[in-house]
Amino acid sequence: MEEQKTAQSFTVPIGPQHPALKEPSHFRITVDGEIVTDAYVRLGYAHRGIEKATESRTWTQNLYMLERICGICSHIHGMAYCLAVERLAQVQVSPRAQAIRVLFAELERIHSHMLWFGVTAHEAGFDTLFMYSWRDRETVMDILEELSGNRVNYSANILGGVKFDVDKSRIESILDGINFLEERTQYYLEVVSTDTLFLQRTQKIGTMNRREAEVLGTVGPTARASGVNRDIRIEAPYAAYDQFPIQINLDDSGDLKARVLVRLRELFESYRIIHQILQNLPTGDLTVRMPRRIKQGETILRVEAPRGELFYFIRSNGSDTPDRIKVRTPTICNMMSVIKLVVGHQLADVPMILAGIDPCFSCNDRMVMINQSNKTSHRWRWEELRQYGIKYYQQRAA
Amino acid sequence: MESNTISNELRSLFSLVVFPGGCFLILLGLSYEWADRKLLARFQNRIGPRWFQPFADIMKLLAKEEIVPEGVDRRLFIGLPIVALTGALTAGLYLPILGVKTTFSFPGDLIVTLYMLSLLTLCMGLAGANTLDRFSLIGATRTLTQLFSYESPFLLALLGPALFSNSWQVSEIIAHTDGHWLMLTQPLGFLVAMIALMGKLELPPFDAPEAETEIVAGVLTEYSGRGLALFRLGKGVELVIGLTLVSTLYLGGITNPLTFFLKTLALLLIIVVLQALLTRLRIDQTVGLWWRYGSLLVLLQWFFLILLQGSAI
Amino acid sequence: MRFAAMMGDIASALIHRPVTEQYPFERREAPERLRGMLHWDPEKCIGCGLCVKDCPAGAIELIVLDKKAKRFVLRYHPDRCTFCAQCVFSCRQGCLSMSNVDWELAVTERSGLIRHYGEKKDVEEVLAGSLKQDSV
Repeated sequence: MEEQKTAQSFTVPIGPQHPALKEPSHFRITVDGEIVTDAYVRLGYAHRGIEKATESRTWTQNLYMLERICGICSHIHGMAYCLAVERLAQVQVSPRAQAIRVLFAELERIHSHMLWFGVTAHEAGFDTLFMYSWRDRETVMDILEELSGNRVNYSANILGGVKFDVDKSRIESILDGINFLEERTQYYLEVVSTDTLFLQRTQKIGTMNRREAEVLGTVGPTARASGVNRDIRIEAPYAAYDQFPIQINLDDSGDLKARVLVRLRELFESYRIIHQILQNLPTGDLTVRMPRRIKQGETILRVEAPRGELFYFIRSNGSDTPDRIKVRTPTICNMMSVIKLVVGHQLADVPMILAGIDPCFSCNDRMVMINQSNKTSHRWRWEELRQYGIKYYQQRAA
Repeated sequence: MESNTISNELRSLFSLVVFPGGCFLILLGLSYEWADRKLLARFQNRIGPRWFQPFADIMKLLAKEEIVPEGVDRRLFIGLPIVALTGALTAGLYLPILGVKTTFSFPGDLIVTLYMLSLLTLCMGLAGANTLDRFSLIGATRTLTQLFSYESPFLLALLGPALFSNSWQVSEIIAHTDGHWLMLTQPLGFLVAMIALMGKLELPPFDAPEAETEIVAGVLTEYSGRGLALFRLGKGVELVIGLTLVSTLYLGGITNPLTFFLKTLALLLIIVVLQALLTRLRIDQTVGLWWRYGSLLVLLQWFFLILLQGSAI
Repeated sequence: MRFAAMMGDIASALIHRPVTEQYPFERREAPERLRGMLHWDPEKCIGCGLCVKDCPAGAIELIVLDKKAKRFVLRYHPDRCTFCAQCVFSCRQGCLSMSNVDWELAVTERSGLIRHYGEKKDVEEVLAGSLKQDSV
């Protein structure tokens, strides 16, 4: 084993196997004493070849394959796929099904944020908060189990609608659970904003101002904590979000404390939307008949996963298997900000900053192939790309 | 005459190896470790391990293979856990474990006890520096940095009662403070002693040297099998000895088993509540805390002590 | 300067029991919609095979003994199944359902895991036949 010391610096590997990481990835951190001087990331440990595998399965089978890209964003992946395919097939789904999809999506957001909160507390060494927040997460998992039959990977989507209905007897138990969670979230918000030692671990750590957040391309609550005003549910509402609008949660400080606060406040928005949906559930069928062969065409769809903007591109060639499905998950956008931010902080802050972007490594392994054999290259400037986007959306609305 | 000497020797050997030192101290250490884990679990609203869990852990570790990594000094690697456990057990010789009056007692044994406790931490630091693994090196640096920061306030806080009793011998201090609760007359010293005890035992919030989420297991990363078992036994014994020391000096001495259990378990309860409440401190925050507030408080306490001592004379 | 932010919870933990459910000894009732083992009702099956086509994991095989007389045997592989319930929704006759009592499916060997559903004599015929050919 070679000596890892070179001129006062020292390389610490975090991952692929490390108690701080829930999923494998490799960070090579160069430290000088306790201060980090350089960082390097290598991903790809959870690559399973899902995008290629979708090309040889039918549209129905692909729903379940794409749902299993990630454990806690599974419903949103399934929902994005269903919305995109329904758009390609030009099928209108009933409002009731869309509302139930949004209900599941918000419940999943609550699940994901509570899980993340516990994990962040654990990385800070605050095990008590970890245990209590995961105890409360059991409540939302029980709600999901009652509604769909499974605690994770609910499989509530089906091409053309949803599988499970929400009837009056269930609404009461859901609301009980949500009220309990609301009380507990209020308590956690207080703990996080006032506990001195936890604040010492999160305040002024990993600060990223608005300009940096935009240049690095961060999305989701990580960007909103730095003041970037982007939320797909507001900018480009999909499913039932135009009937049940969301209010955005921003914070200006851009440090770890801001990220924690933004996610906790998003929980309150989710509770409010769930109350609204359960009180005003539209009527309609649950599913609509979908053809087995989807019309030729291509489409893109963006949704707001609990971690940020999730992007799907689907191309069909008229048969019963898709031609190409491309998924771009939010963690891969936020990963570069970690590399940028850890330099200058202490080694003890590295797991905290990593946990602050809510990494989901199973989502983010994609492969990019650069075709260098084709000699003609076309360079797009920012303005050209923007104009192309505007024209694309105008054509689609027409 | 000779039979008297032989029976004296046998008695000393017995109290050294079986009761109340040696084996009994190890078992007591394991039970206190269980009490610590169980109480912490209950505070976190979960069940916690069953009563034989620490014992089962040690048995399992002793049954596993000890892997010596490449490139380390083999004798140091295997020898340091043994020295650490020995130091911890030796420190218990001069204290009234279970209320039994010690057979080994000599003037100045308080200092020896404190140094033997530090020997354990020093051995862990050396063990980490010996291993070539990056995590162990960082863990060793943190252990020794933390030793630097809390050691002098800890020693000064524990020597406050010695000043009060005009003696460096534990049994004399007990005789002097019997029934007299120094916690009330030297509150600052008590506070510093309690918090520094948590630092010495590397319990949260001072567990930066073995921060699981940053440096895997710190010093003990490469240890397995017998070495790890001995280090863990040493930590358990250190827990008992630390609690006994603080309760002997500040909570009015220990003369029988009932007061031993009551006082040490009361202190353990306070320590576990603090463990559950507080987040882990970064190593620079620990050093800052001790060199700013810890030292200040203990120096203030000594200032008052010397004033009172001077006015009493 | 607030150090004891979680004191409320810690103090109340002394009064309440731990929330851990000690699983093999305490068992909660499964919710109604739990997706456990698949069950098939042969009466209503028309042999369309949509369930076989739609299964993402290839866990269902429909063995046709006599299509006119509606004699089918369903071979189900619980080890391949992902319990997604797509087959339940694909079947337009409502033959399939997922049980909510039969969910403790862990076994130590795979050999006894495959289930054959159908009328008794049909199943026996299939089992006798499959012993002759190589198992698939």
